[in-house]
Amino acid sequence: MSWNFQQIQVDVQNDADNVASSHELEAFRIKYLGKKGLIPKIYASMGILSKEERPLVGKNANDLRNHISQILEGKKQEIKQKEKLSTREDLDVTIPGARANLGHRHILTQTIESICQIFVQMGFVIQEGPEIETEFNNFEALNIPIDHPSRDAFDTFYLETPDPQQKERYLLLRSQTSPGQIRTMQQYDPPFAVVIPGKVYRPDAVDASHSFMFHQIEGLYVARDVKMSDLKGLLTVFCKKFFGNDIKMRFRPHFFPFTEPSAEVDISCYICGGKGCSVCGRKGWLEIMGCGMVHPCVFEAVNYPKGKYTGLAFGLGVERIAMLKHGIHDIRIFYENDNRFLNQF
Amino acid sequence: MKISIKWLNDYVDVNVPIETLSQRLTMAGLEVEKIEKVGGDTVFELEITPNRPDCLNMLGLARETSAILNVSFNPPKINPVAYPKKKCDITIDDNEGCLGYIGALVENVNIGKTPKDMLARLNALGLRSINNIVDITNFVLLETGQPLHAFDYDKLAGGKIVVRRASKGEKIVTIDDVERELDPSILVIADAERPVAIAGVMGGKETEVTASTKNILLESAYFDPILIRRASRKLGLSTDSSYRFERGVDKEMVDTGSVRALGLILELAQGAVLARSMTGALKTKKSLKKILISLDEINHHIGAKLNTAKCRTILKKLGFSVQSDDRNHFKIQPPPFREDIKGKPDIVEEIIRIIGYDNLPLTVPSIIMSNISVDPRRGKRDKIARNLCSQGLNEVITYTMINQAELDRARQHHLAGQKIQNPLTQDYEMMRPTLLPSLLSILRNNINKGQKNVQFFELGKIYLPKKEQETLGILLSGIKSIDWRDEKPQVIDYYDLKGIIENMFLDYHLDLKEVSFEISDEEYFCVGQRANIILKNKRIGVLGQIDEDILTDFGIKRTQAFFAQIDLETVYRYKTECVHFIPLPEYPSVQRDISLAVKKDLSAGKIMRTLREWGKTLDGMEIVSMRFIEKYEGEKIANDCRGYVFSLQYQSKKQTLRDDDVSCAHKKLCEKLVEHLSVIIR
Repeated sequence: MSWNFQQIQVDVQNDADNVASSHELEAFRIKYLGKKGLIPKIYASMGILSKEERPLVGKNANDLRNHISQILEGKKQEIKQKEKLSTREDLDVTIPGARANLGHRHILTQTIESICQIFVQMGFVIQEGPEIETEFNNFEALNIPIDHPSRDAFDTFYLETPDPQQKERYLLLRSQTSPGQIRTMQQYDPPFAVVIPGKVYRPDAVDASHSFMFHQIEGLYVARDVKMSDLKGLLTVFCKKFFGNDIKMRFRPHFFPFTEPSAEVDISCYICGGKGCSVCGRKGWLEIMGCGMVHPCVFEAVNYPKGKYTGLAFGLGVERIAMLKHGIHDIRIFYENDNRFLNQF
Repeated sequence: MKISIKWLNDYVDVNVPIETLSQRLTMAGLEVEKIEKVGGDTVFELEITPNRPDCLNMLGLARETSAILNVSFNPPKINPVAYPKKKCDITIDDNEGCLGYIGALVENVNIGKTPKDMLARLNALGLRSINNIVDITNFVLLETGQPLHAFDYDKLAGGKIVVRRASKGEKIVTIDDVERELDPSILVIADAERPVAIAGVMGGKETEVTASTKNILLESAYFDPILIRRASRKLGLSTDSSYRFERGVDKEMVDTGSVRALGLILELAQGAVLARSMTGALKTKKSLKKILISLDEINHHIGAKLNTAKCRTILKKLGFSVQSDDRNHFKIQPPPFREDIKGKPDIVEEIIRIIGYDNLPLTVPSIIMSNISVDPRRGKRDKIARNLCSQGLNEVITYTMINQAELDRARQHHLAGQKIQNPLTQDYEMMRPTLLPSLLSILRNNINKGQKNVQFFELGKIYLPKKEQETLGILLSGIKSIDWRDEKPQVIDYYDLKGIIENMFLDYHLDLKEVSFEISDEEYFCVGQRANIILKNKRIGVLGQIDEDILTDFGIKRTQAFFAQIDLETVYRYKTECVHFIPLPEYPSVQRDISLAVKKDLSAGKIMRTLREWGKTLDGMEIVSMRFIEKYEGEKIANDCRGYVFSLQYQSKKQTLRDDDVSCAHKKLCEKLVEHLSVIIR
């Protein structure tokens, strides 16, 4: 029996080309390599061949078997890939993903947090105090006498609840976070540096820029030898970190009963860059906080030894800063808590 | 406070452009808020802080300007004149209310027009002309800061002046044609019969100077700032005069202002001064306390290196007298109109505000570690807030004030909020004793604005009779999350709220085994949909579905909303231990489910507690987790029963459990349940 290897090669190739599925591939394998397949047949036929023919046929058969094995392997991969593709659905990859609800901190909380963090990095510790306060902590200890015109700026809600410590006095809603200074000083000896964030209340009629409830952050640093230049330095670092390195600042003398000297800090309006616009009232400057050196009367009120310590203090309105920073024009929106507002931050 | 630049130029040489002057005043603490052109003049509107009554007049601001621009200050010469020593009939009944009263009687004045120059000054500052006498009193007020008042002398009953408190029910028609009712808290100037002026605030109509006036009585006085302030507030009437009196006028000006006005009256309205006298205890010459300070102290306070000459020049320009024995020590006498100067820091401020704060050095201190520890609540609160955000809730901040009607509508009338004495409006009359009304209000706002799916939390305070208490409020309503793959949107229910709370506790490392949920009887929740949250035998909060009627009463167009309120102070006090690592199991666990029919009065909580308890006593294995996986109510089960399925994981620390052993243990457990809790295995 003689084998036309050339023809077989052609047949193998044709058969291989027709294989399209793993099922057909198996049939192809059985036809050539199966127990009763062609290759075993060729090997079986070799016994009757002459000595001369045998090696030649053997070599051809081996080559053929290797060739078929290669085809099988190649086809197997090819079909696997094809089948993988055909069994999967083609997604529209652009359909929006199924998002879980994402909650947001209120922008005021976020603002308080980022302001406090800057001071924490500089060594300040965050403290908190109650909103319901005594007249002593909110006024007297802060060198704000009763019936003084400076109290106008701190118009106050009084509660019907009597002050348990002072007869004929009533508790009030703190009109500033400054009573937190008094509480800190009553409790601790210097040196310390604290920031005190919280809610404050003033009976202001509500409009786009006034709210009877708002938030302030108070800062207080007391030690020996705290200087006015430290106040300028600290607040400059803060403003640059919070508002950006490019802003200009100025310290303008002002009056607060509990600091002397006192100042207000202005930053260059970053809507108009200082040229003057409606946001800054054509001034080119935005007033962002009050500050000063702690008044000796305040130290006296908390019974610190006379002349032993000096300190600096500052206070800022959170809503105002958040409004400036985020371009919010109406303070009321913070308390409306519209979902669409909350989701923006 | 308005100032005219032309007028200012009468006393100082303003040698810089208007813009520079404005900027320099601002940076010296006299903030220019507005610049206006009026006629040929420029008018600045200044914000004068309450400590600087001396700047509420042209002379004071001219003095400041001279210091700021370092130019000379030329006030008008006001020569003391020897007037007839005859006394006016003046009595002061309230010596504390009126320290001193100078009355001057001028006869035969010619009431007429005010000269153009003076009129231009008054007009620039927004005053209109009345007649020459009244205009002169206004001019002197603006110039010197001393409020004056001229009476038509012939209309003063008995020709006398009595400074006294008003009697109850007394009335006066003031020059603005308003009848005002007075009371004993208000100081008045009266004649023999009736009040003719509200002291320091406004004169009376009946005795005002008119075209027919012949003789006048000119008043220059010092009234108690507090009294004037109270009267002004009580009457709701603030005038140029009251504004200055309540901030404190210069005591020396009482006399000087009177002399200045009389000089102008004689010049412009002729007449003759018949009598002039001072009644009261006022010392018109008075020295304020001297302040001792050294240059070193000044420099130390500001961290700068100023020199003696500079400090001295500034202080002198501002009217202080400065003595220094050496180049370091100053003995400083503040001028009488600077009662705000009381100590060293005040002196420092005077010097540096003229130099300009911006011209001072700047240092960044390295702050020594405070011996104050961080308020631990902050970290804990933050953890809770982050967790709730991660569960998809938005943080809200609501007004902490509510009203009684809201409290009633929220069926929480039994709670007592702290009432406010002077509420802004009745809507905000008390500090809230609960978070529910606040959260319902914002739910309504959101729904009205088309925001239908609301998942909110607030970390706020409630205000109880003795304390303010930090409290967590959660409000959920609408669809849980919108997922386009869901066939039906998942509407929020009680278990969503409970799951959120449990997750929050887990994240807080609060041992859930110490928390239990028990049926509550709070009226604002729907019956059968409400629970108390108990931590270690103490009720720390509630959760449930809000009663539909409450939603209706709050104007919320919605039938389902869920609310929880948790006392955070107690949660904060809960000691969370440092988390101790539990080695991961070496051997696999085996799962067995248990399906029960349970009478409705037996809770899943009770079954799970029981199983957990028994699980501890198993031989050679333990129950490492237990999940609730199914609740069934329907036709396949008795009416008074629910079907519950729990999935238990059995595990051993020592070996891989054999199936038979687990099955055996599980079977025993099931039998025990049947026996003890009368459940039926399904």
